[in-house]
Amino acid sequence: MTPNLLIALRFLGARKRAMLMSLTGIVFGVAFFVMTQAQTAGFESYFIKTILGVNGMVRIEDRIQSSRSLAAADGSAFAISVEGSVKYIPGVQHANAVTEALKAFPEVAAASPVIRGNATLIANFREYDTKPYGIDLASFINVSDLETQIIDGSLLAFGENPYALIVGVRIAKRMNLQVGDSVLLDGTSEPQRFRVAAVFETGIDQVDRERVYLHLPAIRALLNKPTGASFIQVNLTDPALAPALAPRIQNAISHSTMAWQDREKTWLQVFSVLRISSALTISTIIFISGLGMFNTLVMIVVDKTREIAILRSMGYTRADISRIFMLQGGIVVILGVVLGCAVAAAGTYTLSHIPIRIRGIFASDHFVVLWDPWHYISAAIIATIVVLGASYFPSRRAARLEPGSVIRGSSS
Amino acid sequence: MSLLRVEALHRHLGEGDTRVHALRGVSFTIEPGRTYAIAGHSGSGKSTLLYLLGLLDIPDQGHLWVGDRETSRLNDEERTAVRNEHMGFVFQFHFLLKEFTSLENVMLPMRKLGRLSEEAMRDRAAELLTAVGLADKTKRLGSQLSGGEQQRVAIARALANNPGLILADEPTGNLDHANADRVFALLADIAHQHGKSLLMVSHNPELASRCDHVFRMQDGVILA
Repeated sequence: MTPNLLIALRFLGARKRAMLMSLTGIVFGVAFFVMTQAQTAGFESYFIKTILGVNGMVRIEDRIQSSRSLAAADGSAFAISVEGSVKYIPGVQHANAVTEALKAFPEVAAASPVIRGNATLIANFREYDTKPYGIDLASFINVSDLETQIIDGSLLAFGENPYALIVGVRIAKRMNLQVGDSVLLDGTSEPQRFRVAAVFETGIDQVDRERVYLHLPAIRALLNKPTGASFIQVNLTDPALAPALAPRIQNAISHSTMAWQDREKTWLQVFSVLRISSALTISTIIFISGLGMFNTLVMIVVDKTREIAILRSMGYTRADISRIFMLQGGIVVILGVVLGCAVAAAGTYTLSHIPIRIRGIFASDHFVVLWDPWHYISAAIIATIVVLGASYFPSRRAARLEPGSVIRGSSS
Repeated sequence: MSLLRVEALHRHLGEGDTRVHALRGVSFTIEPGRTYAIAGHSGSGKSTLLYLLGLLDIPDQGHLWVGDRETSRLNDEERTAVRNEHMGFVFQFHFLLKEFTSLENVMLPMRKLGRLSEEAMRDRAAELLTAVGLADKTKRLGSQLSGGEQQRVAIARALANNPGLILADEPTGNLDHANADRVFALLADIAHQHGKSLLMVSHNPELASRCDHVFRMQDGVILA
């Protein structure tokens, strides 16, 4: 052990109670920082997982027509919207061709065409407005988490019956529907009868209370859409690739293409602001502990003025004296970070087992946490900067003491 | 070769109206193995001179040689290294570090010099404490020792790195007559027996007269 470290360790005991308070503050500051980050990041990542499982990573819709001479053909059912000089023709007219073109992108893991519309669900003498989604089950389960969202019934039963449907849990509850029940859907053509094959729950309130899944051929008949698709839902090998890939796909296939990060920008910003806000709030605990540490070290410098002078007289340099006080800060921050991380891990584990029913933007029956080493590293960095910053000024003050003046003052 | 030599040392203390010319061209030589006292009234410049000799302060003018090395223009780090290797201090107040035992206090200068192993440092510290009559109190904290014992630990600490020069500022000023006598005898014996020089500032004319040479100071100068 170096002499400076030995002296630093002994000097730490000079103001045990104050030092212990600072240490406690750092421990709890680090622990709360990690726990709040684990919780906010946990909810954010769970939201992202949920939203990707429902709406996919990239959505391709609305054909882009850059020239007025290529307007929709006469008698076409498509409306034409114009934004600036670019026209968007709703939907994907040639879904198979687009799906084929997507194979040129190695980042694309799966793609599935979807037809979306509006229909009234009639059952048990009641009517309910729904948004039917026509899907190709085989490809759709590769671009969504529909398999894991089923809470009653089965996808197998849905797959075997061309006139089966899957209803959101809120619709099922509102309409008092059970698996096996028969319902009528009234779209743009004649009402058609379907059988409830399964009930799904995404946790996203809006989806669970208005979406029903049908087979593609069934919805074409229901909505009188014999060709094309409303959009193509795409999954990638890595969700993080979406923002860079979406513009490339859009350029290549001339269809409006949106990454999930743009689609969910509002919620992602809410989570981001929440995470930063909680980090700033909790960091104040560490800052206050740093102030306590500053005060304690200043007191120790005042207490130890004569000891500092005698150390200088026996050959300890200004740098040694400065190091002795910086080391005290270092010892406290190491202890604070180690204990804080241990408390954080235990607290995060406990938090993840606290039961809480969450529905609205995702479904969870307990606190969701994310175990991320960066939360611990960030807390350690903040604590280190604060404590070493707080130790720097007392250490400089100690190093600047003139031993001759101190000893002369003490002797007189 | 002389152990320490000063030539025309000047030092001012204070600022503005309170500025005083504390040392006015002091010159003398310290030879190895001899004891010296600096005597004089309060304010005569004794302690100011001692701190300059101990490289704890910097002269405004003049030269100071430790051995053959001119030290008056050395930077703080160089002066500290010279102090660590060549000088030992004993002050009126013992200034022991209260968190350390007697043995650990004596080991502190050795730890800084870093020339001995942990075991060798421990042995030497124990040997020095035995020499000052504290063989049975090596594990006591400073607060568990009497005033005389604490001063003897401080003497052992001053000798830790085997310095050529021991600078003592009123080393007996805080002790009763019996302890003062004992501490002075100890310092004088160490100087004579181990070939070290002792330079002591003292108000006590009786103790000063027991040194080999007395520098009498008045108004910042050494009287002939």
